[in-house]
Amino acid sequence: MIQLIAFYLFAVMVVGSAALTIFARNPVHSVLWLILAFFNAAGLMLLAGAEFIAMLLIIVYVGAVAVLFLFVVMMLDIDFAELRSGFARYAPLGVLLIVVLAAEMIFAVGAWSAGSLALSQRIAPTPDEIPNIQALGTLIYTRYLFIFEAAGLVLLVAMIGAIVLTHRARGGVRVQNVWQQNKRRPQDAVRNINQPVGQGVEL
Amino acid sequence: MREKPLVDLSQYLPILLFLGVALAISGAFVVLPMIVNRLTGTAKPNPDKLAEYECGFPAFEDSRAQFDVRFYLVAILFIVFDLEAAFLYPWAVSLGGIGLTGWASMMLFLVELGIGFAYAWKKGALDWE
Repeated sequence: MIQLIAFYLFAVMVVGSAALTIFARNPVHSVLWLILAFFNAAGLMLLAGAEFIAMLLIIVYVGAVAVLFLFVVMMLDIDFAELRSGFARYAPLGVLLIVVLAAEMIFAVGAWSAGSLALSQRIAPTPDEIPNIQALGTLIYTRYLFIFEAAGLVLLVAMIGAIVLTHRARGGVRVQNVWQQNKRRPQDAVRNINQPVGQGVEL
Repeated sequence: MREKPLVDLSQYLPILLFLGVALAISGAFVVLPMIVNRLTGTAKPNPDKLAEYECGFPAFEDSRAQFDVRFYLVAILFIVFDLEAAFLYPWAVSLGGIGLTGWASMMLFLVELGIGFAYAWKKGALDWE
């Protein structure tokens, strides 16, 4: 009962905040609605019994991806009047996208109701006796090893790409050289002299 | 197809309690000063009281402010290492069962990202100025 209430609560919130993500006029508000949608999707995952995916949604999507979206939205200097003026020009492409998405959904529902895609027929069915974080771990690092390493390479490429695209060395900046600082000894910097009275100091 | 039983939600009760306490405390921080304000008779709203203080920034302006692309670099580096840490959790939990192959796969993954880290460090992407 309480699961049912929670499911409908999360589901309605996901759909509602997704709709508001699209319809919000301010793109920053869009991103904030998207974050709410992520939170509620995490709640749905929790209800489906995928705790690890739910926590990953919170950590990665809410914590990092949404922040990145916010950065991108804020960094781009978009003229919204100009953006909306192209509506008639892009309408055919939009209609095409709608048709493709609708066809995908019809095919998915049709295949599902044809009954050949039962979840129990998966290559690696969800084991009941161990928590799903452990079940994921036993699969990712052995059976799906190459995909995992490829994911690492994709992350590496993303990192190097971001650095190449956005990093530029700034001139006129005096960078702290920790090695030089640590190498310096007191005898390099301090000199003790026995200064006689009545004479000038030779520096 | 066998129906899986629904998740027992009672194990998430502590999180719900945390959320409730957080909501109550944050609500109190907003509402209590307003109540005290009314009760002590000092509620004299004035536009100058809402103005920014000395060198402060204006509080209400367009939420889309442009800023340096360097923040983006920091954010994307954060995402990459965040994902790396997320991959470490299932690995750590299942390490007993996946043997040497699983251990070596994560070590290779760490080396891949270690190369990226060394590159970022060498290029000075981690330095702000």
